[in-house]
Amino acid sequence: MFSKHNAPKAEDPRLKAITEAIRVVPHFPKQGIMFQDITTLLLDHKVFKDTIDIFVDRYKDMGISIVAGVEARGFFFGPSIALAIGSKFVPLRKPRKLPGRNITGAWYLGEVISEKYVLEYGSDCLEMHVGAVKPGDKAIVIDDLVATGGTLSAAISLLERGGAEVVECACVIGLSHFKDDCSVNGKPLYFLVEPRLQ
Amino acid sequence: MQSSVGVCSSSSSNWLFRFSAAAASLLPSSLTFPISKSSSSSSLITLSTPSLIPSPLRSTASASDSSHVTVMASNDAQDPRLPRISSAIRVIPDFPKPGIMFQDITTLLLDTKAFKDTIDLFVERYRDQNISVVAGVEARGFIFGPPIALAIGAKFVPMRKPNKLPGEVISEEYSLEYGTDKMEMHVGAVQAGDRALVIDDLIATGGTLCAAIKLLERVGAEVVECACVIELPELKGREKLTGKPLFVLVKGA
Repeated sequence: MFSKHNAPKAEDPRLKAITEAIRVVPHFPKQGIMFQDITTLLLDHKVFKDTIDIFVDRYKDMGISIVAGVEARGFFFGPSIALAIGSKFVPLRKPRKLPGRNITGAWYLGEVISEKYVLEYGSDCLEMHVGAVKPGDKAIVIDDLVATGGTLSAAISLLERGGAEVVECACVIGLSHFKDDCSVNGKPLYFLVEPRLQ
Repeated sequence: MQSSVGVCSSSSSNWLFRFSAAAASLLPSSLTFPISKSSSSSSLITLSTPSLIPSPLRSTASASDSSHVTVMASNDAQDPRLPRISSAIRVIPDFPKPGIMFQDITTLLLDTKAFKDTIDLFVERYRDQNISVVAGVEARGFIFGPPIALAIGAKFVPMRKPNKLPGEVISEEYSLEYGTDKMEMHVGAVQAGDRALVIDDLIATGGTLCAAIKLLERVGAEVVECACVIELPELKGREKLTGKPLFVLVKGA
């Protein structure tokens, strides 16, 4: 595993099975991209559980009050981690999924805020309910994979705009260029394995 | 298994709970409603003994009053965790369009006890049923499905919108209010003989769940039950499930 701080000295024996459980799909969604498919990991109960356990062991004593999961594959991992460490789960969603103001303009939990970002392939926009976080909250961001860091940067920005402190970003897979620095926009990054080539 | 156990009607969130004098006068005096403005679990409706259950009281949203008040009622002894789960769900009128009462579960996810209780209720029901697959419908089924799968020792299989799953998939088309959509599942994720649950946050017309059932059955799995946090009974989605049982925690108006 790779992290800025507190990396264990010996290789965790669970990581080999985690790497092997990930399936590579060549040329998806377009030519040249070796897509790291984690759905095969979700089919292996022991490996899926080990993945969650590694994150839970890392975060359970850090006073984390928010686990923010990036739609949609962050949803596979985030809620289980949140439940295990006693944190709230906050979904960071694609546009127009989170209810904000309705047509009469009435306010509910608070407005939905948006942050645009550039992807490895394309661009998109991430949204969060402002009322879901508050100053004093300590947050981690979860996604399946970090490629350029664009999505995680948008997530960090949303949480900070809501007043939370982002403690770390956590992914199952991280592209190799993140290994040396292990950070995204100045925030620590933690990930378990590198991409498989085939 | 029963098709629903101990359900209660969803109420508006505590933040919006307004109880008009006119509505209060319609209640039997035996029923007391400690209403607190805090969002803690103590601000829940307390029922008197089961023999004094009132009929549900509903006020529909008017143009000037956007709160929606539903008094919880139960037909039998219900799980004591349900009231908190119900009140943690936020009902938003006229989203995403006029006439729709949107059942927002994100507030449930912010209540750590209620979220844990929600998962526990499903886990308790299914842990001894030899379930080998939990199929979660994109995207809110991805929030509830994996914790359940992990707890009961099952695989988790995402049922996704088109073109999201890499590799070989099978598709099932289903009807929307206007037009159609498609749901996809990975080839090879589920085998003949697998015993499956289908999980989503809410059942409305049942179209999505029906598509999921069909995909699973096409590969020879047995769909044991569909499970949702919320049902909108007026839309009769329960009847669209090709005879499969449905289990829900909360019924919405």
